[in-house]
Formats: sequence, structure tokens, C-alpha cells
Amino acid sequence: MLIVETVDLTRTYRHGSSSIVAVNKVNLEIEEATFVSIVGPSGSGKTTLLNLVGLTDCPTSGKVLFMDQDVSLLADKERRRVRLQNIGFIFQTFNLLYTLTALENVELPMALANIQHKAQRERASRLLEKVGLEERLQHRPKELSMGEMQRVAIARALANNPSLILADEPTGELDSKTGSGIMKLLLDLCREQKRTVVVATHDKKIIELADVTYLIRDGTIILK
Amino acid sequence: MCLGNLLRRRVRTSLCVLGITLAVMFIVTIGATTSRYTSIIREMNIFFNRNILVVAQGSIVVQAFPIGGGNLPEDTIDEVRRIEGVRKVVPMLVFFGYTLEDVIQLVPTNISIGIPPEKWAILVGSTPLKPDGRWPSTNSRAKEVVAGPSLADQYNLIVGSTIKIKDYNLTIVGILDTPSAVLARAIIMPLSIAQYVYFPTHPSWINMMVVEPEQGRAKEVAENIEAGITGLKALTADERNKIIAPLLSDIEMWNLGIRSMLFFLSMILVTIVAIMNISERRRDFATLGAIGAPRNSIFRIVLTETTLIGLFGGLLGILIGTVGTLFLASFYTNIPLTLYFQDLFGVVSPIFMVEILASTLVVSCVAGIIPAINAARANISEILRSEC
Repeated sequence: MLIVETVDLTRTYRHGSSSIVAVNKVNLEIEEATFVSIVGPSGSGKTTLLNLVGLTDCPTSGKVLFMDQDVSLLADKERRRVRLQNIGFIFQTFNLLYTLTALENVELPMALANIQHKAQRERASRLLEKVGLEERLQHRPKELSMGEMQRVAIARALANNPSLILADEPTGELDSKTGSGIMKLLLDLCREQKRTVVVATHDKKIIELADVTYLIRDGTIILK
Repeated sequence: MCLGNLLRRRVRTSLCVLGITLAVMFIVTIGATTSRYTSIIREMNIFFNRNILVVAQGSIVVQAFPIGGGNLPEDTIDEVRRIEGVRKVVPMLVFFGYTLEDVIQLVPTNISIGIPPEKWAILVGSTPLKPDGRWPSTNSRAKEVVAGPSLADQYNLIVGSTIKIKDYNLTIVGILDTPSAVLARAIIMPLSIAQYVYFPTHPSWINMMVVEPEQGRAKEVAENIEAGITGLKALTADERNKIIAPLLSDIEMWNLGIRSMLFFLSMILVTIVAIMNISERRRDFATLGAIGAPRNSIFRIVLTETTLIGLFGGLLGILIGTVGTLFLASFYTNIPLTLYFQDLFGVVSPIFMVEILASTLVVSCVAGIIPAINAARANISEILRSEC
């Protein structure tokens, strides 16, 4: 079953009088429980495509179907609800909230989804344990290593049990050993927990691991 | 989380809280001090409020009492009694700002009142005396007086104590039991004693008369007194109110103006700090948005932060402002600070404190609206892309 499908997805940015086509008529088909990589050079439109699929950006034209529902025209409130309940984000720079502990960062999406505090705490602890950070629950991001921060970000992305996980250059800030650990974690999520993982990356090792790879250049998918 | 965000920028938050603290401190000090004195002035007109106050032309009158100006010879009393419509005339001798123990007071807080012994009621109504007290005897040689409770507390006066005014020893025979700010600072004595103490060379002088007119004829009787006897000013309660009303309204307007200006400045300060905080945390808000935080949650976070700044600044400002008010009152009146502390809520009323705290919270909350809208409307994809 397709979890995400894009139909002629286009995103154009206006820059003064000129316009830049960041994503140009992209058609993606992402099956459930697959590991998908989107590969391309810098500025090729990977992040824009991920933002469109993750509903943090609106297409100029075309459609995004999420579980067969056209979500590209949803109101902002609805898009946020879909993101909160169905999509987990992992960023290159982790984007953890620095005033919160690792545990609180993971609890955050659950708090926004109005899950009871006790249940939040239990699940957040379990998720952090799963990513190997059971000793770091009360540490703030500045007290964690880069790899640990990305693990917290992964735990946070899993907080509301999303069906789709979008990772934008998840290993970009990490050394190769730590990066491999993170990739293994993402792969396990896909293989063992049957989650769909879409990774935008330069990393060739990821391409080798992926079930499907899309090669993108100048906003257009040139190879699947 | 909100508190953590504020503590993350300790210096900025502290300076902002300090700014609000200073503003609230000034508001409390100025507001409480002026409202205390204006309420005392207003309270004065409770005295003799159906009667006419007669004083010498040129006297300065604040509500029910002359605070300066001429004296009247005692034979004027008979002239006033003969005016048509006058039912009763009570001569009095009133002095503000006398000192006990040669203590200088920048603000006249003590009042000394001489009144014929059989007429106490026109001044004190049904005010009782504390246990063991009695009213001064009619015997002018006895030199007996009653004192207000605040004076008694300040100078440890009890029944039987002796006080010295202008080299005359007077015996306290009663302490008033009253919440009235005017009577609390009063020494009340028979008129003859007051004349003896204050005008030993002219012992028949008075400086005010309280005239009880026939019912419904106050205005007419006052006009008759002024027309019939030269050199007198006769003021009904309405006229006395009219004299002081512009002053009170000016004080209130200035007070309101200062309060509005300080709150406005506080609001600008909080807005600036909040905008700085928001612009530094664009990525945090974009991350929250990406995770799926509804706009109103982000809006609430910013408003909570600015309101917390207002809460801390407001509480500190009220605390310091209250202590400042007490110090200021003590400095100007030379009444010991401990007495003011005992009457803390009399000096700065709890309602005033709550009003100021609520205003501070509203101001800081309003100050957060524009930054909160900015944070909630953050363009998630653009910020995450540009701030990577």
C-alpha cells in the first residue's frame, strides 16, 4: 500500500522578479514499511521535496497524497494535526529544544497531542532506552554528544508512533562511526517496526541500504 | 519550558524584570502615597457634613478644617447665632502640625482640636474610648485631653500619661477607639484648654465655627452669614467639596498619567525583549511547528513567557514599592516605621496591590501579543532551511 504519493508536485520560489523552481513535477510513490533515500547534490531540491511530503511547505502545483488522502490543500491547522499524529521529523542539526532535557524533548510531541503526563513519561523513557540513552534522560542537549543528540531527535520523531519518518541529512553533522550507528537505528525502525523511512542524503552508504532510491537534480527526479 | 527559556537568557530577563520592578515600584509608591492622602482629605468631609463651616475670610480650608488663616474673636459666635435659620453654633479651635517632643514633621499629620466639652458628639459622633478612658472634665483647671490611637501608639500614651504642648502639661484621660485617620492623629481637648495653650494672650479666640442650620437651609444660611457679618466665610459641605475637588482630580489625573506612562514603557520594554527572544529562537518555533504544535500553543508559550516576566516584575515592584511607601510616609511624618508596618494594609491597600499586579500581568500579556503572533506565524520550511 502506498503511504505517500506525489502527483506532478511543483514548488516555485519567487525571488524578486525571477522565480526559482525548487521541485519540478515530481512523482513519487512510497510504499509502506520501505526505506527510501532521496539523493542529489546540494541545492537539488531534496529538502524542499521532504518539506512538501512532510507538509511543512505547500506546493505551487501538484498534489501530495498521504494514505490516499489529498493533504496538499489542507488548512494549516489540519496539516499540523497530520504532522503531529502521522509524521516524525529528524533534522540534520537535530533541532532539539535546548532548555528541555532529553526526556522532555521526547515528551514534547506527546504533550502537544494531549497525552497524559504519566503515559508521556513512560513512553519517552522507553524510546530513549531503545536508542541507548537510558542513562541520559535528564541531560540537556548541550550535555550530549552529537550522536546522542541525533538519537534523542530519533526518539522524539517516534514519540507519537508515526507511520512516516522523514530524515533530512540525519548523518550530515556526525562522524562516520556515529553516522553508521544512526543509520542502523533508522533501518531497524523500518525493518523491525515496519515504519516508512524517507531519508534525504548525500551518504552513499545509505543508498546501498535503501529499498528505493530517488535521484534528484535541479528539482526533477531523474532516476528511481 | 517557558521559565527555562527565560532563564536561558538570564541577564536579559533580569534586566527586563528589573525595568518592570522599577516601574511598578514607582506606581505603587506614588499611587499609595497620593491615594492615602487624598482618602484622608476625602474622609475629612465626613465631619460636619450637614453643617456649615464658618471661618475668617482668607482662611485656607481643606474640607472640614482650616489649615491656615485668620482667627475669630469669640463674640462673633453670638452674631452668627442671631442669623436667621441657625439652630446651633459650635466654636472650635483647630491646629495642624503641632509637635510633640519637638519632632519636625514635613507633612502635618497631627491635629489638635479644642471643642466645648458638651459638644464632643458633633466632632466624634459615637466614637468610643478605649477601656479605662473617659472624656475630659468640664473643669478648665483639670487640663485633660483625649488622644487618637495612632498618637498613643507612637508616644506610648496611656490613660494617665502627661503630654507637653507649648510648655503646658496636659493629662491623657482617654484614648479614642477609631479607624478614622484624622481622629487617630488628634488630641481633643476642651475649647478653653486649647485657647489657654495656643492663645494665652488672647484666650477668647477661635478659628472655626460649626453651624447647624435648619433642615434644608444650609445654602441660604451660609449666604446669610456671609452677607450679615463682614470678614466671615461660610461654607456648606458642597462648597467645601468644590474647593478641594479640582485639587483631588488633578492629583488623580497626574497619578493616572504617571501610571499609564510607566505601564506603557514597561509594555515597550517587554515587547522588545520578547521580540529579541523570538528572533533568536526562530528555529525552536519552526521545530515546534514542524513537529505539529498548533499555532495557538506557540502563541501561548510566548504569552506565558511575557506574563511570567510581568509576574516577577510586578511582585518585586509591589514588594519594594510597599516598603518604599512606608519609608517615605515615615520620613515625611516622622511617625515610626514600625507603626506603619503594623498598619501595612492601611497604607497600601491589598485591593490596590491586586489591582497593580493584575494591571502588570495584563500589560505584559498584551506586550507579548505581537511577538507571539510573529512566532506562531513563522514560516517553518524557510526557517529550517535558512538556519540549518
